[in-house]
Amino acid sequence: MAKSEQHQAWLDGLDAQSRAKQGGFIDGISAKLRRSRPVEPPAHPFRGAPDFWNAFEWPLEERITRFMDNFKAVGGHPVRLADMEAVKSFIAGKASEMSAKYIIRQNQPELNELGLEAALPDAKISVWNSDPNEHWKARAAEADFGVVVADYAAAYTGSITVLSSKDKGRSVSLLPTVLMAIIPAERLHTRLGQVLVNFDRIGRENLPAGIHFISGPSRSADIENDLTIGVHGPGVVYAIIVG
Amino acid sequence: MSGAAPAGGNTVKERADLALNNDFLRKAVRFTTERLRTGKEKAAEDHGNWDEWRERGRQIRLHTIAHLDYYLNLFANNARANGVHVHFAETAAEAVRISLDIAKHVEARSVVKSKSMVTEELHLNTALESIGVEAIETDLGEYIIQLAGETPSHIIIPAIHKNRYQIAELLSVDAGETLAPDTQILAGFVRRKLREKFLEADIGMTGCNFAIAETGSMVLFENEGNARMVTTVPKTQITLMGMERIIPSFADLEVMATLLPRSATGQKLTVYMSGISGPRRSADADGPEEMHIIIVDNGRSLQLGDPEFQELLNCIRCGACLNACPVYRHIGGHAYGGTYSGPIGAVLTPALKKNVAEWDDIANASSLCGACYEACPVKIPLHEMLVYLRRRKLEAGRGDKLEALGMKGFAKVMRSSKRFKAVLKLGQLGQKLVVRDGGISLKVGPLKGWNTYRVAPSLAGQSFREKWPTMEQEIRNGLKEMDPALKSRMEAIVRDRENGGGGKGGHGHHG
Amino acid sequence: MKVSLFITCLSDALFPPVGEAMVRLLARYGVTLEFPAVQTCCGQPAFNSGYWNEARETASTILAAFEDCDFVISPSGSCTSMIHHYPKLFENDPVMLGKAIKLQQKSYEFTQFLVQVLGVTDVGAKFPHKVTYHPSCHGSRLLGVKEEPLLLMEQVKGMELVPLPFANDCCGFGGTFAVKMSDISGAMVTEKTDHVLETEAEVLVGLDMACLMNIAGNLRYRNKPVRVMHLAELLYEGVKGA
Repeated sequence: MAKSEQHQAWLDGLDAQSRAKQGGFIDGISAKLRRSRPVEPPAHPFRGAPDFWNAFEWPLEERITRFMDNFKAVGGHPVRLADMEAVKSFIAGKASEMSAKYIIRQNQPELNELGLEAALPDAKISVWNSDPNEHWKARAAEADFGVVVADYAAAYTGSITVLSSKDKGRSVSLLPTVLMAIIPAERLHTRLGQVLVNFDRIGRENLPAGIHFISGPSRSADIENDLTIGVHGPGVVYAIIVG
Repeated sequence: MSGAAPAGGNTVKERADLALNNDFLRKAVRFTTERLRTGKEKAAEDHGNWDEWRERGRQIRLHTIAHLDYYLNLFANNARANGVHVHFAETAAEAVRISLDIAKHVEARSVVKSKSMVTEELHLNTALESIGVEAIETDLGEYIIQLAGETPSHIIIPAIHKNRYQIAELLSVDAGETLAPDTQILAGFVRRKLREKFLEADIGMTGCNFAIAETGSMVLFENEGNARMVTTVPKTQITLMGMERIIPSFADLEVMATLLPRSATGQKLTVYMSGISGPRRSADADGPEEMHIIIVDNGRSLQLGDPEFQELLNCIRCGACLNACPVYRHIGGHAYGGTYSGPIGAVLTPALKKNVAEWDDIANASSLCGACYEACPVKIPLHEMLVYLRRRKLEAGRGDKLEALGMKGFAKVMRSSKRFKAVLKLGQLGQKLVVRDGGISLKVGPLKGWNTYRVAPSLAGQSFREKWPTMEQEIRNGLKEMDPALKSRMEAIVRDRENGGGGKGGHGHHG
Repeated sequence: MKVSLFITCLSDALFPPVGEAMVRLLARYGVTLEFPAVQTCCGQPAFNSGYWNEARETASTILAAFEDCDFVISPSGSCTSMIHHYPKLFENDPVMLGKAIKLQQKSYEFTQFLVQVLGVTDVGAKFPHKVTYHPSCHGSRLLGVKEEPLLLMEQVKGMELVPLPFANDCCGFGGTFAVKMSDISGAMVTEKTDHVLETEAEVLVGLDMACLMNIAGNLRYRNKPVRVMHLAELLYEGVKGA
């Protein structure tokens, strides 16, 4: 939806004000720090995790075991399957078991090839952002299942990473009742840092708008510290490791 | 602040007394803080090398704050390059003005909010309501206390002071039907109710756990998914960010992600950790179309360049100091009387205010036990800062006159051992009137508070210094030769110390 | 080797047996303590309340008292940790600062001295009782005295050491805090003695008489016959009885 010209003019005005203010605001900080503002990046000898940590790595099998243990410990459902064929039957099986009528999936090549549509002829399966006239957030909100392929995963914390794009909606991993996240084994790393370092490497210009680490089902302990699962996000999360 | 805190009273002491007489509150707070504290200790132990991680976290925060001008400027430029509308607010009033201006221009009817302590600082909900915009807290605990018209009493568990029956009552009124006091039922109601609110809202408002300078990204940690909702569904996103929330890079985020969840709740990572780098890309089908980040000072820069308080800006808002604090455990968060409670609140609340007249007795509500410092993932010496605050209050001429006289007397006596000895002698004689079985139970004067809970000991009939001459004589008569090995150990330590090898004695943590 | 005793004003006035136990215990190793009689108080009550001028006056007395010795030992981790604050207290006075750093480097809490300096963990004591241990905050957290008392207690024959629940929680003393915030302090000490009573120990042992005075005072107020001792007293009694 195009913004009205008036609105854009107002935003432009705000930005001009902000740029005008920035210098003084930042110089105020320099003055408090009793020196002039550095122009060169300051030497940062403590960047990132300690060296002993960066040297730490588990072999693949242990990564898989640890990921599954961690994911299970927080109430998630980890499974390990041999190939995408097995993934298709697993998701189809769960869909009929839970009577899932509405499924939304990302527009990812792995999912396009999965053939979920053929395996579940009775379910309505929508492909994220495949039609510009559709109200996609509503489609995701009504979905029983959201199906995504993870971009990365980290075993030590039991985390799945999903990145947003035209074909990968943030809503797909957030709004449905059940989340099915497929993790190709080769994307599973040991440490969180092995995933995070990619964002520094590709740099600001190439970052997606949303980077989301998901480490289990939505939960809260706000009522008498009593654990509640599924407060706002999906209450049931399957992490399906393939390979 | 919308609605008064339940524990009224003008001073920490008065509010604490009310809390101490509220048995439920004390039990609830104690139960939860103990669970969180135990969880944190276990998580730190399981992870291992905890002190090295703390030190690393501290160094990253020290470095960033020491170069805050550079990094904040870099962040602002990068966020803008990401398409974010960046704003700078020196005061709370300015931050509120900018927020309301945005709300008016996007013609907002409602704002869904994820937990943000900065917006609590600004009393932003009240301001939004004043222009007819409904502000809805969506974190379960925050939603509950908003219904109750209260403020958070814990930085991580805002409704720590309420039990499920009180919560069921509040939510039943909201639902228009009676809800059973069952956590699943209550949370289920809030899920359904807030789903509608998320989908209707015009603005999503968040705080900011960390802001990454090199990429202009803002990072949120949460468990419920409400912060993701708030940053995914509404058309406009407004993020309010304390100006010190910066870290340089995603690599540094790994250290913060290691320290924050473990210290807050004992989790390896919160269920969701999201890095948002600007509004939705043009081809995206969700995410905000317009994104604003308001960078807020509101007293933070008062700490910059102040050697005693600059480290306060290192705080990552985990709440570990609250859970470790024996005072917080007994009096709860509202007794502190500010947005931030517990040890961090006791220091931060007065530190954020320039006007010393607003410092009440908050810094006195600590036994200086240091549990906060030990629990802090970035090693902020809060127990020392509390002493600096007490000193500054006196320097500002706001001390208690009677106490000042007492301290003058104390110094006069303790400056000279002769006076100290004379006072001891007087005491030994004088106490004969009140001592019973070697103890004093009298509840008058300064003994009143002490003796309400204890029997005071009496002075010894003979002080150590009076006994010493006889004792020394006996020892010297029966003196044993020192083992040569022992002697050489001691000599080595003294030598080492003189050569500077012993550092600062090598046997203490003080700097 | 000149080793001086910093008795602390509290033990001087109220608990002389603690000092005596230290003196006699160390004499068994040929360590003859000196007692510079000009010493008074470390100044902590003034320092913690923000009265730094007054604290400096008192600290000057302590600095003078211990200027010419090799080691200073005290029965209190809290008073020793106050000495660790002296460099901060005198940061703007180069002459006094030098003295303050010297004193900090040579000051030891009693069990630190026994274990770290003398290398002693078994004093040869026997103490056939059920005992629980409260680690005082300043000693354990600020000075880092955690292992030393445990190493010493492990070697005491016949003693049953029962863990104190929530041992690391402050007893609620906090100096003037106990008077200014007496109700919070009272709630804290009551919780502490509840935990002590849970252990069913006959003896509560610790390393700081201020905290022990606080806990003992509450136990006595509640008419609970738990004996409260400084570790030096326990060790010395155990050596005499062995």
